[in-house]
Amino acid sequence: MTALRVALAQGALMPDTRAALAAAGLPTDVLENGDRRLLVPAGADTTYVLSRPGDVPTYVAHGAADVGIVGKDVLLESDADVLELVDLGYGTCTFVVAAPQDSIDRSLDEYRHLGSLEVATKYPRVAAAHFQRRGIQVEIIKLGGSIELAPQVGLSDWIVDLVSTGRTLRENRLAVVEEIAVCTARLIANRVSYARDRERIAALASRLAAWAAAR
Amino acid sequence: MRDALSGLAVPRGFRDILPTEARELHAIERTLLGAFADYGYVPLEPPAVEFASGAITVDERRMVRFLDRDGRLLALRPDVTTAVARVVAQRYRSADAPLRLSYFTAVFREEASMRGSEREYDQAGVELVGAAGPLADSEVIALLADALVRCGLVSAEIDVGHAGYLRGFTEELPAEARDAFAAAARDGDLVRAVSLARGAGLAAKRVTALELGFRHRGPDVAAARADAPKGSLRALDELDALGPLFEAAGIGAAVRFDLGFVPALPYYSGVVFQVTAPGLGFPVAAGGRYDGLLGRFGADRPATGFAINVPHLHQAVLDAGWSPAGDTALLLLEPSADAIATVRVATALRRAGIAVCIGPIAERAGREVRAGRVVDEGHVAYEGETRSLEALVTLLGGSLGGSTA
Repeated sequence: MTALRVALAQGALMPDTRAALAAAGLPTDVLENGDRRLLVPAGADTTYVLSRPGDVPTYVAHGAADVGIVGKDVLLESDADVLELVDLGYGTCTFVVAAPQDSIDRSLDEYRHLGSLEVATKYPRVAAAHFQRRGIQVEIIKLGGSIELAPQVGLSDWIVDLVSTGRTLRENRLAVVEEIAVCTARLIANRVSYARDRERIAALASRLAAWAAAR
Repeated sequence: MRDALSGLAVPRGFRDILPTEARELHAIERTLLGAFADYGYVPLEPPAVEFASGAITVDERRMVRFLDRDGRLLALRPDVTTAVARVVAQRYRSADAPLRLSYFTAVFREEASMRGSEREYDQAGVELVGAAGPLADSEVIALLADALVRCGLVSAEIDVGHAGYLRGFTEELPAEARDAFAAAARDGDLVRAVSLARGAGLAAKRVTALELGFRHRGPDVAAARADAPKGSLRALDELDALGPLFEAAGIGAAVRFDLGFVPALPYYSGVVFQVTAPGLGFPVAAGGRYDGLLGRFGADRPATGFAINVPHLHQAVLDAGWSPAGDTALLLLEPSADAIATVRVATALRRAGIAVCIGPIAERAGREVRAGRVVDEGHVAYEGETRSLEALVTLLGGSLGGSTA
């Protein structure tokens, strides 16, 4: 039996991910130290594929990794075809629509007048899908980061961003107009791997679900 | 100024299939069509374009579309099911006996850029129209298994599920929750499917059964019966009936009953299946029963079928160390100064059933090649000896005077 390839997102999720995997009985000591390798064998049964969060669904969708752990926020912004097996419950963050605290009414007036709003975001798919569901016409402006800046300098009316505490929004005098989705970390699987390697992946899913439920 | 080479570029997602690969694909095509014919399936050649509004299995945004001079929106053939539905409705509406159709043809899909996906690829498959029940369901699955083994894919696994299994749970949900539940399952978001079912008031023991079902894969479905809804049990009965038929067809070892396999397309009504190969992240083939779909086109007949993704099959058999068999070696004949003698020798050898090419070749595309040199119109130098044509033909396994007279 070949090693199960597990794609993990390097970054904020990693400490909780390590704890979850350790609780599910996978070797995690190789993930502890300052190892710079991106393909990390861990015993005979597991190989970790370490990538940027946004790339985890791509590796899994193409079968370059069998399973992966990644935030639902990343899955919503990706259009990768993967199976979502377990809600791991950690890494909570929320997609929100936000606007300058003092100008929400003004921007709504403007929407009635001009028929369209400008929305800056790092997550154009999530933003476009949300406003389409709402039937609100918007122009999406894609930015690379520091989205909170955009309304303050007149680049956009609103923003769509991912928030965990809301502190950055408050410090930039932005208020939440609407919550789009609450996101947590997910165990995902490649569709073919989930078929051919069902026993191992389903067992891993059960142990991770039990760990998440007990927290 | 135009770059000379840019005039030769191909649009993204299209490519030249070079001789070595083309030869391999032809071997796969011959093998598949031979297998389909051996089970009584007759070929159908669909048109290259369809109306963009007409396709059945492909979302309009995923078609390669263009306007014709009449201003109609057309699409390069996005699937073959559309043509099958049309042919059945127009030509075989009142046929009593089942219709068995097969095809091997390119289909076209629009893909977002930078996803490493092709916009044109070959699809091979069959449709069995007008037959329902386990005999028909096991026939197409056994044919698929046989055809893939004939192509050299020996380590394939066939996952067999049933659309009715999940529908049994859907039917117990309040009407307003059903679509979202079914869509989440089809999208592969099992987390959302389970949480929607729980939120819509599905009984706790049913939720447990559903979670168990999503994980169930094995030689039978006995373990999935506990606490399953009535509709799901009927689906499990149908799967139970298939087991002995797979054994009788000699494919029992390759089949797994998989209740976690939910096809992405919504129109499947009964037994569904997919074929996977080791080391390949995408299925090689998929299919299932779609009773009711043809009714939308005026011919309400039960139907089942499958489509093989030929590039995926090709990659899977190459990974397994396959190379196309069946071609004889090619005799490369070095001409003599006497062009007439050279042509006579080549003609005589070809009539004896030997593949001959005069002169060197730039690309042999993986085909086995032997070298010979024309001495005179009755003799060829081959492997260090001058041989008469009769001796050479005997050596190469042809027969003089065997044909074309």
